[in-house]
Parts: sequence; structure tokens; C-alpha cells
Amino acid sequence: MDKTLTYVVAILAIIALVVASYGFVAFQGQVADLESSNTNLENSISDIQGTLTDIQEQIGEYQSNITALEEELSQYKEITLMDDMGNVVVLTAPPERIVSLAPSNTEILFAVGAGDKVVGVTDVCDYPYDFAAWVEAGNMSSIGNYWQPAVEPIIALDPDLVFASTASEEAAETLRSLGYNVLIVEPKTINGVLESILLIGRATGNPVEAGELVSELRQRIDTVVNTASQADSTPKVYHEVWGPDIQSAGPGTFIDELITLAGGENIFHDAISSFPIVSSETVIEKNPDVIIFPHMYMGTTSWGTYEDIANRPGWNTITAIQNDNFHIIDASIISRSGPRLADALEILAEMIHPELFG
Amino acid sequence: MTIDAGESHLRRVSHWKLYFVLLTGVLVLVFIFSLTIGFSHIPFDNILKILAKNVPILGDMIETPGTEEFVRQESIIIDIRMPRVVGGALVGVALAAAGVAYQGIFRNPMADPYTIGAMGGASFGAAVAIVLGVGVALLGVNTVPIFAFVGALGAVFLVYAISREGSRVPVTTLLLSGLTVTIFFNALVTYLKLIAGDKLHALTFWIMGGFTYTNWTDVTSIFPFIIIGTAVIYLYARDLNILVLGEEQAQHLGVELEKVKKILLASGALMTAAAVSISGLIGFVGLIIPHLTRILIGPDHRILLPTSAIMGASFMMICDALARVIIAPSELPVGVITAVSGGPFFIYLLRRKRGGYTVR
Repeated sequence: MDKTLTYVVAILAIIALVVASYGFVAFQGQVADLESSNTNLENSISDIQGTLTDIQEQIGEYQSNITALEEELSQYKEITLMDDMGNVVVLTAPPERIVSLAPSNTEILFAVGAGDKVVGVTDVCDYPYDFAAWVEAGNMSSIGNYWQPAVEPIIALDPDLVFASTASEEAAETLRSLGYNVLIVEPKTINGVLESILLIGRATGNPVEAGELVSELRQRIDTVVNTASQADSTPKVYHEVWGPDIQSAGPGTFIDELITLAGGENIFHDAISSFPIVSSETVIEKNPDVIIFPHMYMGTTSWGTYEDIANRPGWNTITAIQNDNFHIIDASIISRSGPRLADALEILAEMIHPELFG
Repeated sequence: MTIDAGESHLRRVSHWKLYFVLLTGVLVLVFIFSLTIGFSHIPFDNILKILAKNVPILGDMIETPGTEEFVRQESIIIDIRMPRVVGGALVGVALAAAGVAYQGIFRNPMADPYTIGAMGGASFGAAVAIVLGVGVALLGVNTVPIFAFVGALGAVFLVYAISREGSRVPVTTLLLSGLTVTIFFNALVTYLKLIAGDKLHALTFWIMGGFTYTNWTDVTSIFPFIIIGTAVIYLYARDLNILVLGEEQAQHLGVELEKVKKILLASGALMTAAAVSISGLIGFVGLIIPHLTRILIGPDHRILLPTSAIMGASFMMICDALARVIIAPSELPVGVITAVSGGPFFIYLLRRKRGGYTVR
């Protein structure tokens, strides 16, 4: 009995031992599992912390960027501008959407580096880029004609600054009455053009570029004027603006000023109006030494070939015709109040004084 | 008066009412239609919202989106399109009504504000104001309309004085002197163009005619003159009917001929000047609209005048809408459209149905 009991107890004890040892082993395994998952968790926590630091760093970077931009903006402050008509415009932020209502304004805007802010130009704006093609491709909007443009296409572009001219004075007035910022740029002299470049530079937040451009242009103009002053003669120049009912350029025009600066004498310098209609007889009587013709900017031939001009009745007696001193110049560079007037001056100087500028 | 005549009179009056209501309906439709025409595409329901919003009491009940886009659309409709549409309608009324008066007085299909010298005089007056820049000089008041009126009145009475023979003014002499004075004033305007300098472009475009820059000030400044002018001509509608029978007949029937002529000439000059001062020279409307209406409705001035005025307004609004879109974003001078579209249509009507110049 006792023995039996002892066996039973012993068997039970063995069973218990086996079960317990099995349980111990199983427990050991679980602990190992838990430990490894704990390590995993710890790893991922440190990963997340790393990312967090990255993000915080980035935020810090952005914040310093914002501070820099804010500083830049506060430096812009308010800019008060006065246009050629005496209208005052106050800008509180650099313009982002500019509309140009004249080819000369477009040329200046692109020359001072504000071209990327220009959202609208006229049908006749063709420099420094082929804007008609841009409009076709959908990269630029056209507001229509340069003379008396309609207001609605301009408003549709939602501009924050509009550069007009006297050709768009009425549109400018309407836009101003509706609360738009409009500057009328209409310089009358070469110096006036340089001032316009500075004005447009200041208005668009590019005063440095404009200043550099103006000093470069002034230097080129001075070079021509100084060289021309050494000339022994002052050739008489006839510039035909339009034909065949001939129209020339008189006082108050860029053409007249440029001819004078290039060391020539405009034969219609004393005319009664800016663009006088003159008779063939007067031209023969004044007997110019140099004749200059515009080449129309649209690439079309003008109202006559050289032969047509030379064969006008009585013109064979003119010195310029006898000496074949006949030149063609791009009409848009000599009549637009833009930076290319300096080009026009250099070209004219070569035509009038080839001995000095050749 | 026989019973038959009485009946036919009643029938005619009820026809008049029908025409009047019909044409007014057309006028309203054309008005709304021309507001929808322009460079920017503005959805029709937005246009209706914008219109409703600007009606005093109704406006408070309308919910409108306060987006920047909507605000810009409202500005385009209310500040840009509406004044030119209303201004165009008023100019149409003025030129058509003046045309009715002139054709009635002179019993001549050629008479209109242009041939009678009023337009030439008005354009000379306005050209002087533009070239001399007196518009700004006098306390900032726009003097162009005043100069235009002085010019128109001066021209019309110059014509009247030249053609006057004793107490009578023969129609042929009057028309001839009207043309002469017009040519004379046109020559003066050409001279002004020559000396205009940098005002040349403003002057040239003003003469071409159009409503590109018409604003609310323009509209309110001409409104009273055109209403008064039309009302005065309407008061003399019966006298104009009698005048159609001939000057002698009219005198026998108790029309104070010379007085009526003077009043009507002045009213026509006033309206022409008001029209010209905001739109520049727009030909053809004063000539064809009265004829067109006469062909459609008949020669009785009591109905001819109001229906011509309505037709003139509708015609002008349509022409201006076309001027805005044909070569968009640029605009055509509206005078080009009035002549090109009105001419062939008028010739067609003229060939199809010949209207008389006497009261039926």
C-alpha cells in the first residue's frame, strides 16, 4: 500500500516535474519574444524621434526664411511714384501683375528685369520678344490696340499696376476711377526716357537694374556726343517719316533730338509742328546732305524704293541723292521712347559722320 | 367723319399700342443681351444676380458670392458695360428723334442731323474744346458737351439764316446750305487736326465715334437734354403731321410755321450735341432709323417719333455690342458698324416695300 502510494507520488512528482519544466521552457521563450519586441519598439521610437528632429530643423529653416522675407518686404515699405502727367501712385507691395499699354513700356519693363511680372501687352508690342507668338501660345495676354484700348480686357487680367501712355490716356482715367494703379509714361526727350527707365525700375522693385541700365545708356550716348563734337561739319539731314505725301519730323521729336546729338542738322528743326507735312519743293530747296528713311517695323516695305525716291521730280539736284547718301533705319528704334534710342543714336551717328564712326 | 373712318382710326390706335409694346419688349431684350456681350465671359445667371443686386429693395434679398471673381464681374457689368449700353441707347434715341424732326420739317428724306449741319457744328465745337484743352481749364468741368451744343446750335441757325428768304425758308436752299456749312465745319476740324499736336490722337478717335470710355457721368449729363428734346418734338408731332401736307397748307391750318421750325431745329441741335458730346460722330442712324420705322409703322409722327426712338436705341445697342467683339480684344469704331450693317438692310427694306411720306 505504502509502496503503491510512494510510486503514485513519485509518478505524480515526475509528471509534475515534466509539466513544470515544459512550462518553464515555454515561459523562457515568451520572455525572449517580449524582449525582442521591446527592442523593436525602442528602435522605432528612436526612428520617430530622429524624424521629429528633422522636422523641427526644417521648421526652424522655414521660420528663418520667413523672417528674411519679412525683412525684405519691410524694406520695400511704401513707394510713392509720380508719372509724366503728375498722377501720384502709392504702392505698398511690389507689383505682381503688370499690364503694359505701350511697346516702349514693354521694352523698358523687360530691360529692367520686370518681364516675368508682365501679364498683358498690346498688339504692337514686338520687342524684346515676339509677343504675338507668346499670345498665340497662351503665355501672354493681349489687351488689343495701343491707341485707345478697351478697358474690359485690361480689367480681366486683374492687374496691380498698369503702365499707360498718352495714347491710352482715357483708358488710364477709367482704370484710375475704378481704383487701379496706373502710371502714364510719356517722356518727350532722351533724358526723359532715362528718367522713365528709373521710374519703371523703382515701381517694379528693380531700382538697381534700372540704375545700371541708365548709366550704361548714358555712357553710350555721351560717347557718341563727344565724338560727334569733334566733327568739322554739320551735315543737313532729311528724315522722311511718312510718304508719299511726305511728312518729316520737326521740333520736340526724338528724331530731331537724335539727329542733333549725332552731329547733324535736321532740315525741319524749325517746323511749326512735330510731324510737319512738307512739300517736295522745300526738301529740294533745303538740299540735305543725308537722307534717312524708316523701315517699318512690321517688316513691310515702305512707300518707295530708293529708285522711287531718287526719281522724284527735281530730287536729282539734292546733294544726298547725288552722293548716294541714303540710309534706312528701323522705325521702331528711332521713334519708341525705350532703351533702344541709344542704338538709334549710334546708327544715326554712323550715317551722318561715317568719317568719325565708321 | 364717317363711321368707317372712325373705325379705321380705332384699329390704327390699337395697332400702335401693339407696335409700341412689341418694340419696348425688343428694347428690353436687346438691353440684357448686349450686357452679356464683351471680352470677358460672364455667366448669364451672374449677370442677372448683379442686376438684381443693384436694384434698391430687391438687392438686399439677393445672395451673391463675395468672391474676388464676382466683384470683378460686377465692376465690369456696372462700371464698364452698363454705362456704355445705356449711353448708346440714349444716343440712339437722340439721333433717331432728331432725324424724325428734321425729316418732318423739311419733308425731305435726306434730312438728318448730319446733312442739316448740326453734327458738323457740334463736332467743330467739341474739337475746339479737345484741342485747346479747355475741358480741364474751367473748374474741371467737362466743357466738350457745352462747346458741342454751341457749335450745333450755331451751325443750325447759321444754316437757317443763310437760307431764309423773307419770312420763309425754302427746303432746297436749307438743305444745300446745310451741306455747305457741314463741309465748311469739316474743313475747320481738319485744320484743327493739323495743329492738334499730341491731341491729334484723342481728336481722331473722338471723331471716329464710339462708346469705349462712356461712363456714368457722361450718361447722367446727357440724359436730361435727350429726354427734354424728345418730349418737345413729341409735343409738336401733330404740327409735323400737318407740315407733311405742305407749308402753305400747314399755314392755312393754323400752324405757326416759323416758330415751330425754330423750336424743332433747336431741339434737334440740342439732342445732336448731347449725343455727339459722348459718342463722337456716328452717321447713318439719324437717317435710316426714321425711314425704317416709317416703312414698318407708317408716317404719323405721334407713333413714328416714340417708335423711332426705341428702334434707334435698340439699333445702337446692337451695333455697340458688335463693335466690342468683332475684333476683340480691340474695338471697332461703332460708326463703321452702323453704316456697314444698317446700309444694306435699309436698301433691302427700301426695295421690298416703298413707304410714302404722307399720312395714310
